[in-house]
Amino acid sequence: MSATGTCEYQPKDYKSDLKPIWCPGCGDFSVVQGIYRALAAIGRPPHEIAFVSGIGCSSRIPGYTTAYGFNSVHGRALPIAQGIKMANPDLTVLAAGGDGDGFSIGGGHIAHLIRRNMDITYIVMDNQIYGLTKGQLSPTSQKGRVTCTSRYGSMEEPVNPLLYVLAYGAGFVAQASPTDLAGMAATIEEAIRYPGFAFVNVQSPCVTYGEEAQQIKGLKSISESLASMGHNPADRLAAMDLAQQYGQKMHLGVFYRNPEPPPTYGDLVKERQALLSKDAQPKERILDLFIKK
Amino acid sequence: MRKDLVFGMAGSGGDGIVSAGDSLLQAAAAEGYHGVMTKSFGSQIRGGESSCRVRISTTPVLNPGGNLDVAVALNWDDFLKFGAELPVSGTTVVIYEAATNIPEDQIPLVGVTPLQVIAVPIAGMAKETAGTERAKNTVVLGLIAGWFGIGAVAVMKGIRKKLAKKGEELVEANQRAFDAGRAFALAHPLKASMNIVASETKGNVKLITDGNDMSAAAAIFAGCQFFGGYPITPSTEVMQFFTDHVWRYGGSVLQAEDEIAGIGAAVGASFAGKKSMTATSGPGLSLKSEMMGLASIAELPLVIIDVQRGGPSTGLPTKTEQSDLFAAAFSAHGDVIRPVLAPTSVADTFRTTIEAFNIAEYYQTPVIVLSDQEIAARKETLDPIDTSQFKIIDRLRPTGAELQGYTRFKQTENHISPISHPGMLGGTYLASGIEHSESGAPTNSGSVHQRMSDKRTKKFDPLKNRKDLFEITGNPDAPLAMVAWGSVAGICREALAMAQAEGMNVKLLVPYLLYPVAEGVYNDFFASVQKGLIIDQTHLAQTFKLLRMHIDLPKGVQPLSRSGANPFLPGDIVAALHHLLSELQRSHEGELQPQE
Amino acid sequence: MAIQGIDFANLSLKDALDLAILVEDEAQERYEEFAAQMDQHRTPEAAKFFRYMVENEAKHGRELLARRIKLFGDAPRSVTRAMIFDIEAPDYDAARAFMTPRNAMKAALASEVKAHDFFVSALPALKDADVRALFEELRDEEVEHQDLVKKELAKLPPDSGLSDEDFVDEPAAQ
Repeated sequence: MSATGTCEYQPKDYKSDLKPIWCPGCGDFSVVQGIYRALAAIGRPPHEIAFVSGIGCSSRIPGYTTAYGFNSVHGRALPIAQGIKMANPDLTVLAAGGDGDGFSIGGGHIAHLIRRNMDITYIVMDNQIYGLTKGQLSPTSQKGRVTCTSRYGSMEEPVNPLLYVLAYGAGFVAQASPTDLAGMAATIEEAIRYPGFAFVNVQSPCVTYGEEAQQIKGLKSISESLASMGHNPADRLAAMDLAQQYGQKMHLGVFYRNPEPPPTYGDLVKERQALLSKDAQPKERILDLFIKK
Repeated sequence: MRKDLVFGMAGSGGDGIVSAGDSLLQAAAAEGYHGVMTKSFGSQIRGGESSCRVRISTTPVLNPGGNLDVAVALNWDDFLKFGAELPVSGTTVVIYEAATNIPEDQIPLVGVTPLQVIAVPIAGMAKETAGTERAKNTVVLGLIAGWFGIGAVAVMKGIRKKLAKKGEELVEANQRAFDAGRAFALAHPLKASMNIVASETKGNVKLITDGNDMSAAAAIFAGCQFFGGYPITPSTEVMQFFTDHVWRYGGSVLQAEDEIAGIGAAVGASFAGKKSMTATSGPGLSLKSEMMGLASIAELPLVIIDVQRGGPSTGLPTKTEQSDLFAAAFSAHGDVIRPVLAPTSVADTFRTTIEAFNIAEYYQTPVIVLSDQEIAARKETLDPIDTSQFKIIDRLRPTGAELQGYTRFKQTENHISPISHPGMLGGTYLASGIEHSESGAPTNSGSVHQRMSDKRTKKFDPLKNRKDLFEITGNPDAPLAMVAWGSVAGICREALAMAQAEGMNVKLLVPYLLYPVAEGVYNDFFASVQKGLIIDQTHLAQTFKLLRMHIDLPKGVQPLSRSGANPFLPGDIVAALHHLLSELQRSHEGELQPQE
Repeated sequence: MAIQGIDFANLSLKDALDLAILVEDEAQERYEEFAAQMDQHRTPEAAKFFRYMVENEAKHGRELLARRIKLFGDAPRSVTRAMIFDIEAPDYDAARAFMTPRNAMKAALASEVKAHDFFVSALPALKDADVRALFEELRDEEVEHQDLVKKELAKLPPDSGLSDEDFVDEPAAQ
């Protein structure tokens, strides 16, 4: 940052000309602002960023940035993001989507991305509802929630996204919300800077189908900053304890940050390539492998 | 003396019959012969019935052959489970394990009298010479060397090399078993000698590989830098080859958590600018279909190798079939054209796979390579391939000028738009599964959808004129015709030669491009045709139906189809041609008769 | 409404002015976002009102900036946008599809009240007399802003008492 407080990149440099389809008042408007700010703070040129999503209201988000975007198919942002990262490890790779995209149809992918520890930041806009299809029960909907597919109340326990990723060993786990945009931007920035898989759950209210308690006013009343609570983000078990309160309390900030980040998948790939390329035959001679003398 | 011998051997997994087949093929190659080896297994992981078929010839081999010349049954129960895959005829020499106590005149082959049946105390000889019955397979190799003249020196040379690390003792035990087998054969000559003639190309370098390894090697040669996949029989070896080798070429491989993630990662890698691929088999193809649609609408190059097995669902995981044709052409919803190619042998898997990458890159599309279990798992001896003859095509990149105000899906004369990738300054765009305008902006406009659908389908028109993706052999004006693809094509090539030798006026069309259907090529081919067979290994006659959907086939053209694990023999096809020919002659006679 | 990293007790006049400018900037940007949302959702009257608020915030911001330059020139700024959130800007969920001008004005009024409360709550901690004077001035200006909005509200025809939601189509599934 220069003396006059200007960055090489301003948040507006990451804003595209596409007009969001979101309902006025949607929490996702704040998330995209938070992302613009985080990217500006990091200062990578937009063309060196790949931003992948699945399907859902929130999955429209890559199109609202000037990065290379990929608005793919439902639940599959993470596999595509991994292919991108493996094909070009120098890119900053972001993935984003909703709670249904991430924890229902695509729920099986998260565990494996965490196991691989690829340097990808995954932002889930959690609104406890399916908005794009008009208000059905989602994997993070509270038990008892009445929706158009649960007229008499949901009979299922919600997924706890925070505990889920902590349990699989994610190296960076945080939560943010539109009740604190500056905090959200800082959290997303820290997540992107973390060398390895980073997960940010953003409580992003649905103004059209969300419950009153999940709107900003309601969220404010249950929110608490982890930093001000004195939580030590290096303490994974304490993070898991706090994460248990998902749905009752909204803790904001970093739950867990591995103090000693292990090598990423990309690091290991580079190592292997370096090791094996020493005795590589030119690919024009690859058929020599099949010679039987 | 023989120029061509087909061996079929079966036993339980513990008998090591497949590894004997491997040794035989390698020894034959070392001695300058051409050969093909196929394997077939029961459904048990270990110890179930297993078999192999090894065809050895002085000329290049087109398929694994028809009826067996030599049948080796280490155990009758196991042998019989393979049914039509190991057909014994009146010209077959049958060698079987004497320890079954089945007298020669009571062997359980129904309705056939083999040329000669020989009971050999294989297990006993193994035990006696090597100290273990496990050496039965080496005894068998000795018998083959003695009776048929293949591998007298080369077999043991190969075994010696393979076992060198395990110690001289083991090598010696094998040598004794081999020598015993050979001595037995020499002491008990066949009624009629079946020695193979010496090869004229002894000493020439030969390659030996299977279709799966060949497709992976071809992909790396074509510049593929990423493989995303999930283990599934019978395609897994493609991924294994990548995990062994791709790192050396700066690429990488991801064994994903499921089939969808495998192709998803490949789609991502392609978006990131690298040539990428996945491989799978039927059930995996079903799972991948949504991603294939995504790659089509986002116009991303991608190669999908589908090694067909019997379906639907789990079907026959270890047996070949061609019944994924409809799925390859039509799976994934929406209006989409996705090219489908098929190799016919291990050798042309190299070219077909490179072609698949070239088409994927040029047309910015997913391409399916329909291999099948037969090609994927069979080993072929190959003459060295001059790789410099293959042209590699890369996707069209935007020029510096095009990156000023870049339009990802720009309308062009040939409907192909320059494609950027992350990292390219000025090229940022939104790739999406949602319909989009030329700029990549999401839309639900009917007119844009119409326009972009046009773009995505018309771009393939030139592909349908690629006559080099079709092989026509036989008399071009013949009234009698065959169409066959994939592993069945090799059988039909041999049938064609047999039919021509019998004086039939017949021709054969082998498409390497199955979809989009090249109407022009087929219309030209069928112009002279009055009777014909569309031959495939499907239950529903899928190839016939796919062609009929696009072409007005002559009335006399009919399907000849059979479901998986019921292989065609060249003779079956010649017989069907005879039938057609007699119909043709009858109808001509009918024409000549005066009307009453 | 959130503030972080600002030590009110030791706040200098320069920083206080910069802070006030950032508060106006933030509000201006939020109203711009809301106006764009209203355009996109074809609610032109609400969009018009939000643009009116954009102008008001911008005007106030310009006045503050002029003072800052007069007093401190282009001396480096030490407070940043990351230190403030939603001081005078309405909450993100204050916008609604098919907002009536009345509801738009109510949302703006609520944020002017919020801004007023911010300056009031900060006053007791302030030690510097000039800063205190500035905050008192800003507090009073927020009251003026409230009056501006109230004036606009008064111009509206009486509330029908009917809910907008009773007239519009259901959301469209995508």
